[in-house]
Parts: sequence; structure tokens; C-alpha cells
Amino acid sequence: MHKGPLLVARNATRRYGFRTIVRGVDLSVSAGDVVVLMGPNGAGKTTLLKMLAGLMQPNEGSIERHGSIYAVMHETHLYETLTAVENLVFAARLKGSVDRPGIHRLLQLVGLTTWQDNRVMTYSRGMKQRLSIARALLHDPDVLLLDEPLSSLDEEGCSLVLGLLSGSDGKTRAAVVVTHQIDRLLSSSSSVGFLVGGSLHGPLPVDGMTVADVNRRYRELLTNA
Amino acid sequence: MRDVLRVAWAIAAKDVRIEMRTRTALLSSVVFAILVLAILYVARDPTAVSALEIAPAALWVTFSFAGLINLNRAFAIERENDAMSGILMTFPNITGIFLGKLAANLIFVGTIQLVAFPLFVLFYDVPVLTNLPLLAVVTVLATIGMVSVGTLLSSIVVQTRFAELMLPVLLLPFMVPPVVGAVQLTSRILANRPLSELMGGFKLLAAFDLVFVVMPILIFSATFDR
Repeated sequence: MHKGPLLVARNATRRYGFRTIVRGVDLSVSAGDVVVLMGPNGAGKTTLLKMLAGLMQPNEGSIERHGSIYAVMHETHLYETLTAVENLVFAARLKGSVDRPGIHRLLQLVGLTTWQDNRVMTYSRGMKQRLSIARALLHDPDVLLLDEPLSSLDEEGCSLVLGLLSGSDGKTRAAVVVTHQIDRLLSSSSSVGFLVGGSLHGPLPVDGMTVADVNRRYRELLTNA
Repeated sequence: MRDVLRVAWAIAAKDVRIEMRTRTALLSSVVFAILVLAILYVARDPTAVSALEIAPAALWVTFSFAGLINLNRAFAIERENDAMSGILMTFPNITGIFLGKLAANLIFVGTIQLVAFPLFVLFYDVPVLTNLPLLAVVTVLATIGMVSVGTLLSSIVVQTRFAELMLPVLLLPFMVPPVVGAVQLTSRILANRPLSELMGGFKLLAAFDLVFVVMPILIFSATFDR
């Protein structure tokens, strides 16, 4: 794994037409970092994640990537007509080799073995989210980008995501997590950033910070915006 | 190159699997092909127009428009759940993605042609069997050209609101050169003209293919809003 930061954004700016969605973001993420990003709707969080993932290029500034990156977004990147196994086999084929026992282990990890041969269109939103996470883990990314990872998950699913962020699977990866559920994620994160009006404030180290502190800071920024 | 071909194969196999499961585009195209062949056959006045005169046009109108229906779906399946982003994050090789889509589309359009051709023979009773190899070469050459441009344009229009309307508007002008060439060649083949008379047409179709396959590969990456 790369020794320095795995992901570095310098003055990253993205515009849609005349509207600036993400404004001069500077961010550096190294292995083991879990950066939580908070922000109101339309603040540019998803756009920033897409830029970090390489799915969008910044209009200004730059983003350096020194490792593999995979983003679990609101859109699941899955094919509804295929089964869970077929979706993962397809992703594995793109990557290079199909490790069927490995795919089975991943499905077991996300708790989908019972439904692995059912088409994704029959899944609930939470099950799709789990499969989307399995697809991300299939790539064993150095940096995991998560957009509202807990929003559709039940308690077991939330524990799975929180476990992954804590490195419970033995992998020291970096993560950038966009969330509104800071109370669930604060204990797993190393720093918290606030994206307001496209500008990133922070990230601030979490050391000793409570959920109340984070929410207070967030409210101050929203009030001053 | 090996990686590019591996990705192309993975994408083509996935598209074929999805289409075989839903059969949406394939069935619509086959039904459309049967209808066009039947309507053109019934509309012809056999005392005024011989089957040989109308057959090449009927064949290529059927192949072109039935293929068009199928091309619309090429990138629509990637739009659902933003599946294309998943591919790009896994293997960001644009050429592999294009070749995979092209291969899948060629399989779909080829399948429609395989179903429509026997019906064409049945309806028009033209000397096909003796000219089958030459007709196959014309069909392959013309199909590669129009499907390749169709695949490129499909990736562009899928990002627009009226994708299904936009594809024919954009694609039909590009389809004119290969389809006109194919109609002329088919007409000459069915009239049992000597091979020397056909070579110019074959070379022209091959040249179109070269341009229509290389050009989309070169500009395909520009169709992604990144």
C-alpha cells in the first residue's frame, strides 16, 4: 500500500453550468483514516464523492489517487435482472478473475446467502445496499467512499458497515463517509468535515469530540452560511 | 490488449444474459421485422413490380429498423442504478466497454437477421441459396458499420431525456452509406452479376466499417460526462 496519503484533493472545484457545486475542497486521506462528511441536502457531498472516486473530473484543482478506490453510492451499480451471485461474478470478471468461494464468503458476510440466486429486482432497498457493499469489498479497495451507508440498513447491516470502518475484516483501509447519522458513526471516525454551500470546513480530528459538539459546530456553520 | 478483450467479453456476456432473461428488445425487434417484411410483401403489386426489384430494399429496411430498436437498449441497462459507474470504478478502460457493447449489439442484431432472413426468403422467393455466401458477406460488412455507429450514438443519447427518439434522428444519416451500399450489392448479387462487379461495393463497405469502428473507439470516452 502507498505510504503517503491515498487520496489528495487540492482546490477541487466542480461546476454545473454557472453553478458551483463543490468549491475549492482540500482533503487528504491516508490509510486508517475514516473521514465523515456532513452537510445539508444539495451541499455537494455526492458530487465530491464522485470526484474523489474518479467518476467526475474537477473543473479546477486536482485529485490524486494512490490506491484502488470504490464508492458505494445511493445508486447501487447493480443489474436488477441478474442475481446477487451473477452481479458479483460480473464485477469479478471485470477485475480479472472469478473467485467463487470468495464471492460466497462475501455474500455470507453481508448476510445474503439465502437470497443469492434471486434476482436483485426482488430485493429490498437494504438488501441491495448490502449487495452493493459486497461488490465494493470484492474489489478490496484501499479507499472506500460511502454515501449514506446506514440509511437503508437494519441494525445488523449497520453493525456490518461500522465493523468494516473499524477494520474488523483485518484490512486497514481509508474511508470517506457522507452521513447525516453522526451519532452512529462518530465512534468509528477519525475526523469530521462539514460541507456547506460547496465549501469544506475541516476535517477536524474527532479526539474527545462528542456528538453534541459536532452538531453544535454544524449548526453554527449552517447559521453563518 | 488482453485485459481490454477480457472486459469486452464480460460486458457482452452480461448484456446477452440480461437480454435473454428479459427478451424485451429482441422480441420487439423480431416482431417488427416480421411485420415489415409482411407489409412490404402485401403492398407490392406483383404485376407491376417483380420480387427481385423490391427484395433488396425490403431486406435492408427490415434489418436497419429492427436493429435500431435493439440499439436503443444498449446503454439503457447501464443507466439503471448507474451501473456504468460500477464498471468504470472497477476497470476504467473505455475501449473495452465499447467493444463489449459492440459485440453484444452485433449478437442481438445478428440474431434478428437470422430470424428475419428465412422469412424474407419465404416471402420474396428470390435466388438466395446459390448466393448465400456473398449475401452473408454483405450482411456482415453492413451490419458491423451501422451497429458500431449505433453503439456510439446510443451511449450519447442515453444521457438525454428523449433517448428513444434521439437515436433514430442521429443514427439514420450515418446509416445511409452502409445501407445504400448494402442494398446495391444485394440487388446485384440477387441478379447474379459477376463477382468483379461486386468488388467495388465490398471494398466501399469495408472502408465504411474501418471508419465506423475506429472513429467510435477514438471518441467513445468523450461521451462520458466526467
